[in-house]
Amino acid sequence: MTASTNYYSLIASLPHMPRSFDVERVPISKIRLQQRLKMLGDKDECVVEKVQSFLLWDRQQSDRTDEDVASEYERLMHSITNPLVCDIINHRMDIRTITCALRRRRLGLEPPAAVGQYVKHIRAHWQQPDFHLAREHAWISRVRERLEANQPLEVERELLTVTWNRWVKLADGFHFSFETILLYLARWEIVDRWTRLDESVGRKRFDDLLAQTLSSDGDTA
Amino acid sequence: MESLILLLGWAGVFLPTALGAIGSIIGCGRAGQAASGALLDVETGYGRLVGVSALPSSQTIYGIVVTMQFNRVVTTDSAPGLFSIGLLVGLALLFSAIVQGSCCASAISTTKSKPEVFGLAIAPAAIVEGFAVFAFIFAMIVGGGIPGGATN
Repeated sequence: MTASTNYYSLIASLPHMPRSFDVERVPISKIRLQQRLKMLGDKDECVVEKVQSFLLWDRQQSDRTDEDVASEYERLMHSITNPLVCDIINHRMDIRTITCALRRRRLGLEPPAAVGQYVKHIRAHWQQPDFHLAREHAWISRVRERLEANQPLEVERELLTVTWNRWVKLADGFHFSFETILLYLARWEIVDRWTRLDESVGRKRFDDLLAQTLSSDGDTA
Repeated sequence: MESLILLLGWAGVFLPTALGAIGSIIGCGRAGQAASGALLDVETGYGRLVGVSALPSSQTIYGIVVTMQFNRVVTTDSAPGLFSIGLLVGLALLFSAIVQGSCCASAISTTKSKPEVFGLAIAPAAIVEGFAVFAFIFAMIVGGGIPGGATN
C-alpha cells in the first residue's frame, strides 16, 4: 500500500479485457488481480474496496429483502463521492429495478418497492409494455421477450450485454487513470460472473426464487 | 530594468534545455512505469518495452543543442530574442515529451498483448517526435538571426 497510485504501472500490468464477456475464462485470475491491486494508493484502495464489495453484493442472493437492498443502496450513496462509482452503482440498480418490475408484472404482482430513479416512473407506467422507458433503455423489450419465452440464460446475457457495452463505452474515454481501473474491475466482474454461469444450476435457482416469491406473496395476501 | 532584461536573456538561453529535460523526465517516467508494469504481464520482449520508454529523452538533446546555439554574451539587444524563442521552443519540447510519454505508455500497453503491431503502435509517438523536431529546427533557424551570435 502506497500514498498514491502509479496508474501507468498498474494499468500496464493488467491483461487486456476481451472484446466480449462471452469467453471461456477471465483474463486474469482473482488472486492475481488482487495482487496487482496492491499497487493502489491508500485513497484509491478504499474506493476500489467499496466498488468490489458492491459488485459482489450485486450478485443476487435469495435471502435478501427489499429493505436490505434499500438500506445498502442508501449507505453506498452516502459513503461514495466518486462520480463514476456512483454511476456504476446507479446503473446496476436501475437495471435491477427494471428487471424486477418486468418479472413481477409477468407474475401478476404489484410494482417493486425497489430503489433508484425509476421507482415512481415504473409505478406511473406500470401497464405500459416498456414502462415508457424504451428510449432510455432500448433493451427492455428484448429482455421482456426473453422472459416471456422463459429463457433465463438469454435474459442474463442481455442484461450483462447492456452493462458491458456501457462500461466499454465509458472506458474508451479514460487512459491510465483511476477510472480506467474502476471500469476494468467492473468489466472483469461481468466476465467472471458469465464464466461461472451454469445453466442447470441457474434454472434450479430461478425456480427456487420463483417458488419463494410466490409463497411469500401468498403469506402476505 | 536592464538587469531584468539580461536576466530574461540568460533564462532564454537555458530554457530549452530545462523545459526539454522536465518534459523528458515526465515522459520517460510515464512510459517507464508502463513498461515496468507490462513486464509483469509478458514472458518475452522485455528489452523492446523498456527501449520504447526512452523515446521522450530526445527532447532534452534538442534542448541542449538549442542552448549551445543560443550560448553567447547576453546583451539588451539579444536578450528579448533569446528569451522569447527560448521559452517557446522550450514549451514545445516540454509538451511534446509529456505527450510522447503517454503515447509510448499506450504503445507498450498495446504491444504486450499484440507484439505484431509494435511498429504501428509507436507511430503516434513518432509523429509527436516530428513536431518536436520542427520546433527544434525552426528555433535554430530563427535563433540564427539574434544579435551576438557567431554569424552576427
